[in-house]
Amino acid sequence: MHFDLIIIGMGLSGLMAAKTASEAGQKILIVGKGMGSLSLFSNTIDLLGTTSQNGKMWDVISRWIEDHPKHPYAKVGMGTSKEALSSFTSLFPPPYSFEAFGDGNCLIPTGAGTLRPTYLVPSTMFAGTNLREGDRLIVGFKGFKDFYADYVADQLSCRGITLSLPEALHQEVTASALARFMERESFRETIGREIKEKLHGETRVGLPALLGVRESWKVKKDLEAIVGAEVFEIPILPPSIPGLRIFNRFKEWLIQRGITFLLGHFISKAILKGKRCEGVHVLNPPVSNFYSADRYILATGRFVGGGLVADEKKIFEPIFNLPVAQPKSREDWFGKSFFDDLSHPVHQAGISTDSSFRAIDEKGEVLLENVWVAGSILADHHSVDEKSREGIEIATGYATAKQAIEHGA
Amino acid sequence: MDIQTEVLIVGGGATGVGIARDLSLRGIPAVLIEKGDFTSGASGRNHGLFHSGGRYAVSDPEAARECISENRILRRIASHCIEETDGLFISLPEDSLDFRDQFLRACEETGIPTTLLSREEALALEPELNPDLLSAVKVPDGAINPFALVLENAKEAEKHGTKFILHTEVTSLLMDRDKINGVRAKDLINGEEYLIHASYFINATGAWANQFLKLAGLHIDLALSKGTLLITNQRLNQRVINRCRLPSDGDIIVPSDTVSILGTTSIRSEEVENFEVTPPEVSLLIKETSKMIPAIQETRLIRAYAGIRPLFQSEEKGQDREISRGFTLIDHGKRDGLKNFITITGGKLVTYRLMAEKTSDLICQKMGIDTPCSTHLKPLPGVSEPSKLNDRLKKIGQSITADGGEILCDCELIRREEVEGLLKEGKLKDLQDILHRTRLAKGTCQGGFCVYRLLGMLHDLRMAERDSNKMLKGFLEERWKGIRPILWGTSLKEEELIENIYKGIFNL
Repeated sequence: MHFDLIIIGMGLSGLMAAKTASEAGQKILIVGKGMGSLSLFSNTIDLLGTTSQNGKMWDVISRWIEDHPKHPYAKVGMGTSKEALSSFTSLFPPPYSFEAFGDGNCLIPTGAGTLRPTYLVPSTMFAGTNLREGDRLIVGFKGFKDFYADYVADQLSCRGITLSLPEALHQEVTASALARFMERESFRETIGREIKEKLHGETRVGLPALLGVRESWKVKKDLEAIVGAEVFEIPILPPSIPGLRIFNRFKEWLIQRGITFLLGHFISKAILKGKRCEGVHVLNPPVSNFYSADRYILATGRFVGGGLVADEKKIFEPIFNLPVAQPKSREDWFGKSFFDDLSHPVHQAGISTDSSFRAIDEKGEVLLENVWVAGSILADHHSVDEKSREGIEIATGYATAKQAIEHGA
Repeated sequence: MDIQTEVLIVGGGATGVGIARDLSLRGIPAVLIEKGDFTSGASGRNHGLFHSGGRYAVSDPEAARECISENRILRRIASHCIEETDGLFISLPEDSLDFRDQFLRACEETGIPTTLLSREEALALEPELNPDLLSAVKVPDGAINPFALVLENAKEAEKHGTKFILHTEVTSLLMDRDKINGVRAKDLINGEEYLIHASYFINATGAWANQFLKLAGLHIDLALSKGTLLITNQRLNQRVINRCRLPSDGDIIVPSDTVSILGTTSIRSEEVENFEVTPPEVSLLIKETSKMIPAIQETRLIRAYAGIRPLFQSEEKGQDREISRGFTLIDHGKRDGLKNFITITGGKLVTYRLMAEKTSDLICQKMGIDTPCSTHLKPLPGVSEPSKLNDRLKKIGQSITADGGEILCDCELIRREEVEGLLKEGKLKDLQDILHRTRLAKGTCQGGFCVYRLLGMLHDLRMAERDSNKMLKGFLEERWKGIRPILWGTSLKEEELIENIYKGIFNL
């Protein structure tokens, strides 16, 4: 089957590219092995965490672009980055919306009881920002091993309680199971009442970020009505239920728009001819299909997503075998200290592109004329330390789709 | 709270704890002081190889004889700490069969039983072996759990009155003209300082021997040799696999529970504590060990680590591999005029009991006591507990269906209940103490998930308050040492995940 555009990768950058291209009326196929880092890490939308709380985000990014001319933000540009972010937020109208607090980053509490700077926060996390000491109660669940209320509360100098689960059939309960329990009214009733009983005048109640996969706003509102205090979610270990909500929203929207959506499929082989990609073999074992398109976007992520692969000696890109900018030898991939070395050089490895996001060789020549590269697989950023992951994914997903469409016009 | 005892043992490795048990069975009061936890040095950082002595049969017959004799004793007294796997010494096409024949003769002379196996017989036993091998010699090697062994010795010594003081360092000695009167000790956790008076002092600090001797103004010729080891994510062999050649780098693969341990190197080191494993060492070990088991090339590694062997040097110079792996007992009365002071160093894990016996004999001789050693006759306390992998798995299976709480560690299937039980026994002073006594952080993710959960649980139990992120960061930094040299393939993928959790989601 032939498409205008094939997008490889279903993380946030691939989904943004799909949305952008779909709005331009393109016939699109999106293929993804999994949900990328959305299902793992994305709870909020980070743009740049290095900025202080008081800095105006877009001023800070503008300076960042000046200081980092090769950074993905520099290639996308300020104007397009802003457009991209608006396009993202338009997909999440209230009540489950993403919002900034003032012009800069806000601080949200985490599952380790630390505070973390971020830019856009889903409405289920609003009440967690800008906390004062002692005004909140942290609630955990017995049998859920990825969140410890007392741990979090002790770091944040407030109170923590651990509830016994009424509906847990087993000793152990997972994040997704808890999120589904939360969608049940009877479950909310039970835990809501228990929390209310244990409230000692706290005005806000923090729970692990699993207030329902669907209708989380309603879950939050219902709990608040029963407890009589504001409720907020705290980001925890993977999987990320808030990330799953973002994925589900995109998926629903894209499928409604009629784009071909193949989750759980991966590219076994790309057919290249000269400087062009002619098609891809898509494998969903044991079935393999051939699809072609005028243009392609590669948005396969880094190591976790499988976009980059490392053997004992070097890092490579497995689908198009694009050159990967990387440190000279494995000895240089990582610093000797996990925390003290600011960023491990391996995290800046990735695909080097021209200003329109097409992969280039060391001479700066475009390697594949109809393939654009988006998301965290790009070189010259270190999103973990910069706290720029979602920002880069949204901006480059949007920008590559625009470039690809413009190129075809 | 000054302490008075008969014998003060310094060092909580296999040797020191072995001496504690030996003395306690002879009715001699003793205190053991250790600056870390049990087995913080070479006793906890080795191959876990239960030597038959085969490895030294040709190069060091004396050490080989000691090994096979202790091998037989430990099978009786510590069977629960040993997996009786047997070992194969395999000859590859590039190895000389003359050496194999010399090896067979040397084993016969040192009393190590051997069986010569054909290529086909060896492959039938160990299908992952290099199919080009020429032959294999079977010997009674095995795998030993050093930590369990040391804890069992300590448990029995404690029962007989020995006092163990962990996380406490000797900072200076109270010296007389011809003897030591006592030591000044400092608790490294709460900073408390006090004196320990004793009639006799034993330096069983292994690689730290000279650091301790320095306090008495003494020095011995000790070569420090770094041995690097790698742990695979799965068990590739059922028997210990040795290369049938003179001891060299990367020629031993020891099966250990669910993993295999590849080793080792012998690199002269100046550092006892701050040493690292380098990527070239990792590459060398993979290259060499995969000649014996080719699948190693494709196998995921979960950790690299190194230990420092203390090798006592006589005056002749030479390669570290040629220095005897036998042990040395120094009577500082004869050597330096300090009549109540002994140093024991060198040796092998498998000869720890013999080292303890000889040291205790010397103490008894000095004390004028003639109670004989009985450590070779009396089994260690836990001998009746299930030790076979299958039995332990059965036990885990039972606890999963029982009410044991959630699984804290998904790699090694450690239930919350098990850890809570351990914590209730008390006495554990830091995170490493807990990790030492469980399989937490030993599996594929190396504590990437379960240590956070362990800290969470400590808060739940009100055994920790505040500041836990400092501990978490400390653990992750320590973990990094073992992970960094092996990061590629799946390990790198998982490491990216871990980094995104702690630096990303948690902003540590």
